[in-house]
Amino acid sequence: MTLPYQCLAACTRPVSDGHEWLLFGATGSELVAQSSSGIVSTWTPESAILAESDREDAQEGPPAKRAKLTPVAEPKPNLSHLKVTKDGTYLVAVTAEDKCIRVFQIGDQCRLEQLSQRCMAKRPSSITLTADDSIILCADKFGDVYSLPLLSSPEDEQAVIPEPKEDQKKFEPSASVLTVHSGRNRKALEEQLKQAQKGPKQVKDTPKFKHQLIIGHVSMLTDVVCATIGSRSYILTADRDEHIRVSRGLPQAHIIDGFCQGHEEFVSRLCFTKSGRLVSGGGDPYLYLWDWLSYHLEEKLPLQELIFGHYKGHPYHTGAAEFKVAVSGIWAVPDSAQEILVACEGIPALVSFKLGSSSRTGKVLPLNGNVLDLAFIASDAGGAIAAISIDHVHHPGSTQEVRQEPGASRLQCLSNYNSGEWEDDKTLTGSLERFSRPMPNEERESGIASEADRGKADNKAKALRDLLYGVENLRKRPGAED
Amino acid sequence: MAAEPPKRQKREEYKRSLAADDGALPKKKFFRQRAHANPFSDHALTYPKSPAEMDWASVYPAFAVKKPAQGEDVKEIDESRADGQAAHKEEQKKTRAITKDVEIADIGCGFGGLLFALSTTFPDTLSLVTEYVQEKIRALRSQNAENQAYQNIGCLRANTMKFLPNFFRKHQLRAIFLCFPDPHFKQRKHKARIVSSPLCSEYAYVMKPGGYVYTITDVRDLHEWMVGHFAGHASWARVEGSELAEGEVGQCVATMSTETEEGKKVTRNNGQKFIAVFRRVEDPAWLGEEHGQT
Repeated sequence: MTLPYQCLAACTRPVSDGHEWLLFGATGSELVAQSSSGIVSTWTPESAILAESDREDAQEGPPAKRAKLTPVAEPKPNLSHLKVTKDGTYLVAVTAEDKCIRVFQIGDQCRLEQLSQRCMAKRPSSITLTADDSIILCADKFGDVYSLPLLSSPEDEQAVIPEPKEDQKKFEPSASVLTVHSGRNRKALEEQLKQAQKGPKQVKDTPKFKHQLIIGHVSMLTDVVCATIGSRSYILTADRDEHIRVSRGLPQAHIIDGFCQGHEEFVSRLCFTKSGRLVSGGGDPYLYLWDWLSYHLEEKLPLQELIFGHYKGHPYHTGAAEFKVAVSGIWAVPDSAQEILVACEGIPALVSFKLGSSSRTGKVLPLNGNVLDLAFIASDAGGAIAAISIDHVHHPGSTQEVRQEPGASRLQCLSNYNSGEWEDDKTLTGSLERFSRPMPNEERESGIASEADRGKADNKAKALRDLLYGVENLRKRPGAED
Repeated sequence: MAAEPPKRQKREEYKRSLAADDGALPKKKFFRQRAHANPFSDHALTYPKSPAEMDWASVYPAFAVKKPAQGEDVKEIDESRADGQAAHKEEQKKTRAITKDVEIADIGCGFGGLLFALSTTFPDTLSLVTEYVQEKIRALRSQNAENQAYQNIGCLRANTMKFLPNFFRKHQLRAIFLCFPDPHFKQRKHKARIVSSPLCSEYAYVMKPGGYVYTITDVRDLHEWMVGHFAGHASWARVEGSELAEGEVGQCVATMSTETEEGKKVTRNNGQKFIAVFRRVEDPAWLGEEHGQT
């Protein structure tokens, strides 16, 4: 089955005769790149496995017992995030299952060469780059933000290799019979003593590269963004507990400057407009517009109402009362000071808000299927072109039902340079034909499926749903007492 | 499990009888102490969206800005008119506000021993921290109605690791107590400890420069962990030597080591107590603004 593109990224870079743009897409575990000249290249994690085994060999001491290292039937890790440096030299990608941050050099002819792969302790939930593109900020599901150099120098590697511990300290339990507070703790203490008799504890697997904990929430992080205002830099983090935290930029990230408070549901996305205001969205029926330097909520934009209004009576939409919007993407339109585009999970449309204008009502832009991701491509014509990844597997408007009619495209392009309004861009759709067409080695699904096969297919379908639609799951369920 | 229903029944009966008698002190055995709650789970806790929306007046009724008038119901307001709504909100804010800011927080108060001691040590500051404590506060307030004692303490059930900034503004507090916190011995559980470098940032946010965090524990390992994290954090400096015995710090340290229930237990068992105090240092200038230029 050809998978949709779960994420997209784009950049522009100078070439001998002007500029070219590059579009990157992640489909399952595969990375596809295309340039404006039409060249396409792909990368798969297999090409990196060799390097990985080399690294493992280089490790000293007895091999640690780790079940994960038997890659026989291990499913390939899916890519979850893409980020390109501003100059179009490096691509940072995150693979979800193995929690790896991979840095690629973007070579000639779109060739992707993996420079490093750094596996984090917890699964990254968002990444960003600092203003000078030298540091990766990685926010994870545990609530922590780590900073890592984009390019790790050999000295960095050297610096973090743990020195052999000067003769193991004699083990002393941290608790005594006097300090235990409960039966469970007493058991834990007994366990500790037993463990101590067995010999020194094995050192826990910490990542063997330079990384630094800079910010932490006691909640799953959903997004991290950087901002620079004058000489001051900021890091903004959003979490599942309705918080938007503003911290100072590196190296003072330990100082919390303030919070943008007002969300009543999880926050999933943060976005700066070109004019510097902050837009946040998540499980609330509104988008929140902030004068974030003063932590002042300027306005709540009615997103859910707008989408419901548009789909009233639409055949795709059952109008179920319990349906709530979950914002899966907010993008500031380049070349426009105030316009943003918003995607919600399982909605076959984008919503455009022009925040500067007097009437700030949004406009719904219907598309061929559910929106998964969006990347802006620089156009020579002066406007903006949006390449939008479309879920061609699921029914538009549903995250569960599978589409009946085949042949839907995985990509749709909109541009606004003709009239200032967003319309289908057939030219670009055409030139990205190779990017959007199904993979050539697509295995045909046989007509007759045994029970086991069907079970497998069900699992596959669920895995795909989890890969594409994870935002709504952030919503807290009522009745979670104790 | 089988013993639970009668226990719960007894608890409920007892609480009903307690409700009838304003001045009676509650008995500990009828209350479930919610020690060591999982800080990561979504408890059905209520918390304000921001400090401005916190209903402090219900916790400290004697300090309410606006006393609720007799028989005053929620006013009928035309919700469709934006200005009506704004006025309603303002009104709501006023009835929830108190005349004085909360400045002392005892995080994880247990049976509240420290709180009741602090109430008399610092009569003009509001301090804050389970159901038992709420009942005891109610009883003591009622017993001391003529001298207005114990009006300055309150108790909330909340998850401070997640929602501290929802209750307190930047630089609002002058003291935080972390007394005998859950030691979380297993390494896997260390993230659940009440002290970690990210949480030190959060405590620094709600603490005014010059304010103090007081920690006490009977677990040496946890003591070293807390000292390591606070002392290693740029916003905090450890208080040492004679300073520990002087002034308000001295009073707090003494109260903390003798008045908490856990502290008394440790004394009974001849256990060790490890105390550490940290001062919130002034934030440094923004990078590149060190010399006062903007």
